[in-house]
Amino acid sequence: MAQNDTLVKGWQPVIGLEVHVQILTNTKLFSPAKNKFGEDANTLVDLIDMGLPGVLPVLNEGAMKQGIKFGLATSAKIAKTMIFDRKNYFYPDLPKGYQITQLHFPIVRDGVVDIGNKKIRIHQAHLEEDAGKSIHDQYDANSVIDLNRSGVPLLEIVSEPDIRSASEAVDYLKKIHQIITYLDISDGNMSQGSMRCDANVSIMRPDAKEFGTRAEIKNINSFKFVEKAINYEIKRQIKVLEGGKTIEQETRLYDSTKDETRSMRTKEFANDYRYFPCPDLVPTNISEDLIEEVKNSMDELPEEKEGRFKKEYKLDDYEAKVLCSEKSTANFFEEVCKTTDPALSAKWIIGEVNALINKHDITLDDSKITSDNFSSLITKIKDGTISGKIAKEVLEEIWNTGKNPKKIIKSKGLEQISDEGELESIAQSVLDKNSSQVEAYKSGKDKLFGYFVGQVMKETQGKANPASINEILKRLLNS
Amino acid sequence: MDKIELKNLLFLARIGIEDKEHPKILEKLKNTFDLIDEMNELNLDNIEPLNNPLELNNVSREDSDNDRNSKKDFLEGSPESDEDYFIVPKIIE
Amino acid sequence: MNFKLQRESFRSKKISAKEATQEAIVKAKKDKLNIFINHFENEALLKAEHIDNNFDEFKDMPLSGIPIAHKDIFCTKNITTTCGSKMLENFVPPYESTVTENCNAAGSIMIAKTNMDEFAMGSSNETSFFGPVSNPWKENLVPGGSSGGSAACVAANITSISTGTDTGGSIRQPAALCGITGMKPTYGLVSRWGMIAFCSSMDQAGPFSRDAFGCAALLDAMASYDTKDSTCTKRKKVCFEKSLNKNFGNLKIGVIKNIDNLGVSKDILNAYENSKIVLQGLGHQLSEIDFSELSSGICSYYVIAPAECSSNLSRFDGIKFGHRSQTQKDISDLYMQTRSEGFGDEVKKRILIGTHVLSAGFYDAYYLKAQKVRRMMKNKFEEVFKEVDLIFMPTTLDQAFKKNRESSDPNRMYKEDLLTIPANLAGLPAISFPNGLKNNLPIGGQLIGNYFGEDLLLNTTNKIQEVTDWHKMTP
Repeated sequence: MAQNDTLVKGWQPVIGLEVHVQILTNTKLFSPAKNKFGEDANTLVDLIDMGLPGVLPVLNEGAMKQGIKFGLATSAKIAKTMIFDRKNYFYPDLPKGYQITQLHFPIVRDGVVDIGNKKIRIHQAHLEEDAGKSIHDQYDANSVIDLNRSGVPLLEIVSEPDIRSASEAVDYLKKIHQIITYLDISDGNMSQGSMRCDANVSIMRPDAKEFGTRAEIKNINSFKFVEKAINYEIKRQIKVLEGGKTIEQETRLYDSTKDETRSMRTKEFANDYRYFPCPDLVPTNISEDLIEEVKNSMDELPEEKEGRFKKEYKLDDYEAKVLCSEKSTANFFEEVCKTTDPALSAKWIIGEVNALINKHDITLDDSKITSDNFSSLITKIKDGTISGKIAKEVLEEIWNTGKNPKKIIKSKGLEQISDEGELESIAQSVLDKNSSQVEAYKSGKDKLFGYFVGQVMKETQGKANPASINEILKRLLNS
Repeated sequence: MDKIELKNLLFLARIGIEDKEHPKILEKLKNTFDLIDEMNELNLDNIEPLNNPLELNNVSREDSDNDRNSKKDFLEGSPESDEDYFIVPKIIE
Repeated sequence: MNFKLQRESFRSKKISAKEATQEAIVKAKKDKLNIFINHFENEALLKAEHIDNNFDEFKDMPLSGIPIAHKDIFCTKNITTTCGSKMLENFVPPYESTVTENCNAAGSIMIAKTNMDEFAMGSSNETSFFGPVSNPWKENLVPGGSSGGSAACVAANITSISTGTDTGGSIRQPAALCGITGMKPTYGLVSRWGMIAFCSSMDQAGPFSRDAFGCAALLDAMASYDTKDSTCTKRKKVCFEKSLNKNFGNLKIGVIKNIDNLGVSKDILNAYENSKIVLQGLGHQLSEIDFSELSSGICSYYVIAPAECSSNLSRFDGIKFGHRSQTQKDISDLYMQTRSEGFGDEVKKRILIGTHVLSAGFYDAYYLKAQKVRRMMKNKFEEVFKEVDLIFMPTTLDQAFKKNRESSDPNRMYKEDLLTIPANLAGLPAISFPNGLKNNLPIGGQLIGNYFGEDLLLNTTNKIQEVTDWHKMTP
C-alpha cells in the first residue's frame, strides 16, 4: 500500500475524494422545474421541490443518461438495476426532511480514471438531489432559505482511497473535471459550486496492514485549496499521531483564509440517516439498448480526440494533448482548421494564445478571439502577408479589440515586405551604411549576420520577410 | 428500549416530550413492540423483502420543463418570509 | 340516499345540481356528529350552478350533479386542507389532487372536507385535532377510522358518495362500522398525487357509497393513470359501472378456515355464515382456505407504516408551510416546538416507532423483516388466488365500539385492522359491504380480489346487494 515517492516524514498519506457534480439537464432530478443557476431566489422551485404535502417525485431520464455517460467514460459497471433511497435528516434547506439518493444500488460502480502515471479507481457514482441554500447575511437574527437549488440533479463520484498525495488528488480532480466537461455532464465550475469536493484523509505507517482513521475535509472550492487542505491535514495528523494521541473520525472544515482545517461542532447525538428505499419511486432496470443509445450519443473522450488529432492534423503527442486538454480549445482548433493551416494554428494556440489566456486569466470562449479572426491571422502568416513578429502584435490587437486582422494590418500598414527588389535595395542600403561591419563579417565575424538582419528589420519596422532577407543578405554579402 | 434510546429517538425525530412523560411513552412503545415482535415467530428463510406491492419498474419522464413555480404563493403561504426568501432563526454552521 | 336514484333525478332534470347541493349543504350544517372539518358552501353553489348551466356537458359524466364530501387528506387548490391535524390547520394548498380534480371533472360538487384521524393514523376517528366523529347509528360510538367522517357522511345520508383513503383498512373498517359500502382499489389504480402521504407503499384512495353501484361510479371518476405518480400503473381503462352488469359466471370463493380463532365476535361470525349462504345461493362455490399467515400482517404493518410515515412527516418543520411554533430560540428549538405542538400523541408515537425501526442496528431486525413478512403475505395470496377467484371474510373483529374504549389489551385498537391489513400489504383490492345488523348496529363483510379485479369485486357485491337489503339500512 505504500508508495515511497509520496511518504511525508515517513508516513503514508491515504486519500479518497468525494466529488459532487451538478448535472447539466433541462430540469431537476425529480421535478420539472428548470435546472439553472443564478436566477432570482425561489423562482426555480416546483411544487415537488417545496416538499408540499402530497407531492411525488418522478425520475428525469436525462439525468440518468448523464450518469450512464460517466460510467461509460470511466469504464465502469452500469447498474442493471438502480434504486433510490431516502437519507433522513433535518436541515432548513432540505424541504422534505430527507434527501433522495442512492445507497446500495447506485447507477455506476467500479470505474477507473487514468491520471497519467497511475490509475485511480472509482468506487461508485450515484445520482442524488441537491439541497437548497441557507443564507446568513440578510438579517441579524435570522437566516433565509432559497430553494432554487433544491432538487438539482447531482452525480456523487466516490473514489477508492487510492490517492497517495495532495498533488495526485489534484490530478484526479482535474481528470474528473476534464471528463465531465468534455462530455457535457457538468460545467464543473468549482467557484460556482457545480463541482464540489470533499476529501477523506488518513495516514498510516508504510508497513501497516490497515488504513488509519480518516477525517473528512469539507468546504474546498478550488483545485488550489484541495492541495492546500490535504497537505495541511496530512501534517496535522502526523503531529497528532507523533504526539501520542489518536485521530478522531470526524468532519473538518477547510478555512482557506487561515489555511487550516477545523473540527465541526460535534452534535450531542449521532446523526443516523435511517436509509430505506424510497417508496414513491420504483427500481429502474437499465437495458443494454439504453446504454448503447447513450454511447452513440456521446462526444469523443479526450483520449479519443487526441488520437484523432494526431492522425488528422498530423500533430505530435504534446500538441495533441495540450489542444485536447479543454474541449473548448479543441473545438476552437478544429473550427480554425476548416479554413487555415493546422500546424501553424496549433503552434500559435499552444504558444501565443495560451500565453494571453494565462496572462489575463480569462477563458478562450470569453475572449475576443474568434475562430474567424484567428484563422484569418494564421492565413496571413502562412501566405507571407505578415511576419511572425508582426503577427504577435496583430494577435494582441485582436485580443484587445476583436477587430478583423485584415483591418488591423491595413490600418497600421503592417504588411510584410516581400518584394525582392525593394528588399534588395533596403538590404544594400544597410550594408552600405555599415561598411566596417561588412568588412568584419567578410573577415570571419559570422555573428554579425544577425546584426545586419536586425538593421534591415529596424529599417522596415519589422516588416521585412525574414526568409527573403536572409537569402538576400547572404547573396549580397557573398558577392 | 431504554431512556437513552428514547432521548436519541426524540432528537432524530425532532419531537420534544417532557422528561416526566417519558415513562408513559416508553410503556406505549413497549406495548407496540410486543405486538411487532410476534414477527420473530415466523420462518422467513429464503424470502426476499417486498418494497412495492406491484413490483413496478422503470418509471421516468422526459427532461422537459413545466413551470409550476409560484414564488408568491409559496412565500405567502409560509409561516415567515419576505419578498424573496423563507425566514428562519439564525443557523449557526 | 341512493346514488343511482340521485343521479337519475339529475339526468332526468327532476332535480337540479343546485337543489341537490343546497339540500346537502343544509344537512351538513345541521350535523352534530362532527363529520366535517370545513364547509365550502359558496364554492359548492357556484360549481352546482356551473353544472346546471352546462347540463349537456355534464349529464353523462359518472358523477353528474352529485354532491360529494372529500376526506380532508386530499389537497384542494386554494381550499384549506388539514389532514385532521393542527400541523395543517390553516394550510391552503396551491395545487389540486388528482382524485379531487377527477371528481370535479366528473360532475360532482364538493360541499365539505370530512373529519379524519390525524394524518390517517387511527381506527376510530378519535385522534383528529378537530375532535372525534360520532357514529350515525349511535352517538357514543365511533364510526371507525381513519376515514370516519367520510363514512359517517354517507351513513347519515348527507351525501350519497364520499372519498376516503385506506392504508390498513381506513375505508373498509369505517364502512363496516357505519353500515355502508367502501372499497380499497388495487395499489396503483388511483393516483396519489395530492393525497397527503402516510404510508406511501400502501396508501390508496377509494370510494364510499351505500352500495356497489355508487362505489363503481365514484371509482370510475377517481381512477386514472397519472404520470405525476411513479407508483401509479398504466392500464386499459375499465368502466366499473358497466362491469356491474357483466356476467362473470359462478365463482370459486375462498373462506377462511378457523376464522373464529382470530377473535372475531360471535355476531360478526353469524353474519359471515349468513353471507356464505347468500353467496352459495347466487351460484358461487365456497372453498375453505388455510390462511394462518393472516394474523401476522399486523406486526409487519406496524413496522412498515410507522417507518414510512416517520419519513413522510419530516417535511413538517414549520419552515415552508403549516404550523410554526411561536416560541423558538433557534433552529433546533423551532423544529422541536413546532413538531411537538403540531402533532398529536398517536402521530408522535408512530413517528418514534418508525424512527426506531429504521435506525442503524435495528433495520434488519425490524424493517427488513417486516418487508419479508409482506412478501410472504403476497406469496400466500398468489397461491390462494390460483385456487379461488375471490376471498370472503369479515371486515372487523367487532361492531362499532364506544369512544375512549378501555381495553385490557393495549394493542386492541391496532387489532381493529387485523382483517383489513393483509390486502394493504399485498396491494390487493378489497371491498366491505353491509351484511348484517345486530344490537341495532351494522356488520360488514369483506371480499378481497386479485390485482386489478375491482370489476369482479364490485360486480359480485352488486349481485349480493340485489338479493339482500343490508346496504339499505340506515340509522
